[in-house]
Amino acid sequence: MTNPILKAEKICYSYNGESPVLKDISFSLDIGESLGVLGPNGGGKSTLMKIIAGLLTADSGELFFDGKNIKEYKTYPYEIFSYVPQNSELNSILPVKVHEYMEFSKALNKNVSSKDLDELLDLVGILHKRDSLISKLSGGERQRVLIARALINKPRLLLLDEPTKGLDSSGQDQLLSLIDKIKSRDKTAVMIVDHNINQIIRNCHKILCLNRSYHWHDHRDLLTKNILEDVYHCEFEHLLIHENDLQQDSNHPSHDHLFCDHDHKNLKDPHSLMRGKK
Amino acid sequence: MMTFFQSLQDFLHYDFLLYALLGTLFLSITCGLISPLLIARKNAFMGSAISHSTLLGLAIALSLFTADSSLSIFATTLGITILCTLFLAFSTYRQKLPTDSLIGIFYTSTMALGIIIHSLFAKNKTDLLSFLFGNILLLTKEDLILSVALLTLTAPLIIIPYKKWLFLTYDEEGAITSGIKAKVYHYLFFILLALLIVTSIKLAGTILIETLLLVPGFFGLKFSSNVRQSFILSVLFSTTFALLGIVIANSFGLPSGATLAVVLFMALVLSLFLKKIYNLIRK
Repeated sequence: MTNPILKAEKICYSYNGESPVLKDISFSLDIGESLGVLGPNGGGKSTLMKIIAGLLTADSGELFFDGKNIKEYKTYPYEIFSYVPQNSELNSILPVKVHEYMEFSKALNKNVSSKDLDELLDLVGILHKRDSLISKLSGGERQRVLIARALINKPRLLLLDEPTKGLDSSGQDQLLSLIDKIKSRDKTAVMIVDHNINQIIRNCHKILCLNRSYHWHDHRDLLTKNILEDVYHCEFEHLLIHENDLQQDSNHPSHDHLFCDHDHKNLKDPHSLMRGKK
Repeated sequence: MMTFFQSLQDFLHYDFLLYALLGTLFLSITCGLISPLLIARKNAFMGSAISHSTLLGLAIALSLFTADSSLSIFATTLGITILCTLFLAFSTYRQKLPTDSLIGIFYTSTMALGIIIHSLFAKNKTDLLSFLFGNILLLTKEDLILSVALLTLTAPLIIIPYKKWLFLTYDEEGAITSGIKAKVYHYLFFILLALLIVTSIKLAGTILIETLLLVPGFFGLKFSSNVRQSFILSVLFSTTFALLGIVIANSFGLPSGATLAVVLFMALVLSLFLKKIYNLIRK
């Protein structure tokens, strides 16, 4: 039996000694599998992603890459994974073109040719924009460029932090299909943080639900309405209505579900979402 | 006009003016290289803090040595400025909280301390003004050698890992998780900046050096259509107008730092104005 590509055991983290954002988080991810991370804003999803990417250090707990504890690696095992930050974190001052951005990463991977870069841009459907400024691209196109850049070192694990943020529903569908395509083409394991509950449940093998005081991790078929209600502190019906708000306003505190005045009468059976899973 | 051309000839006749001209050339190339990075990394205020904190180093140096001990003053000022810079670099590395207030407090305090030390202990109290606003008459052969050495050190450190600098500036988290040692580059950048500022003090002065550090990069980033072009434009702008500034300063007996600052600023404003007109005509 092969080792999981990523395993976390009892990860805890708090910012500046405040109340913990992550408490005893454990999960594992096998090669070729996908793990979707769901939860309300401030629940610790991106924090967990940054800990795995080595950008933050956990207060306690163990992380294993390819069955080996990170403490046993001489340097952080960046060659195993690629991390795609939220595209809003790109510096808007520098006039960087798509191919220039790809070249930055190529400089760190000597065995990659310019032809390989074009193939990756082609794979993500953005080759025709190789000479465009990244700042002039749409949100979906920019996200594709970020993913293409992340694939340069042929990662065995892809970490995606809210890749569909700011995209319309068709843009989200296209991007998630692309991630699916990469997953099946390269047998790349994928860990994805997203607010698109529907898509995550449909596309990911495993789900990790996080909020500050609660976490649930298992196979997606075991995810129930009650678990989601516990994670989001609101009723499942509300959750479906507010799914779009969560995506669009992920930088702002989420809507207070206790006092919302949406019309729920026209809501179709919310459980159809769960039954609609693959 | 005659004065201007006579002044050009002076640069060939007098050694100190030739040193000033060549020193300006080398320092402006270095400033042109660093400037786009300084702006893109959003470290303009840090540059200002480092340049103002040189006053503390200068005050201590001028208390220990006379103004003609060029190398001793340089070494002392550099040592103290690098210590201040390391503190600032340490305090600002990947901080989520805004660090501008800390930088503001730090640089006004070090400047204030510098003025007190200078007024209490300086061997010659009139020297400080030249260092605050620049004086090309102070430039010596040693200063020229220092500016060449600085360019020789800085250019490869910026140009060889050029893509790493850009990757870190453009997508810091992507760069770190690709294996680039961001902390090393963070400290390296500020040490280079401190070196550049201390070397340029006599040319532009601690207060006005900021113009040489910011205007070329601003011009480069404003007028370029890709990253490489922004660096080339920045270096060309920096060298052209810094040399013009030094010639004008000598022609009319003006303080070099102030003249450089005004010439660079005027060139930038004129460029932006011409660009606006060009865009209007194209429409």
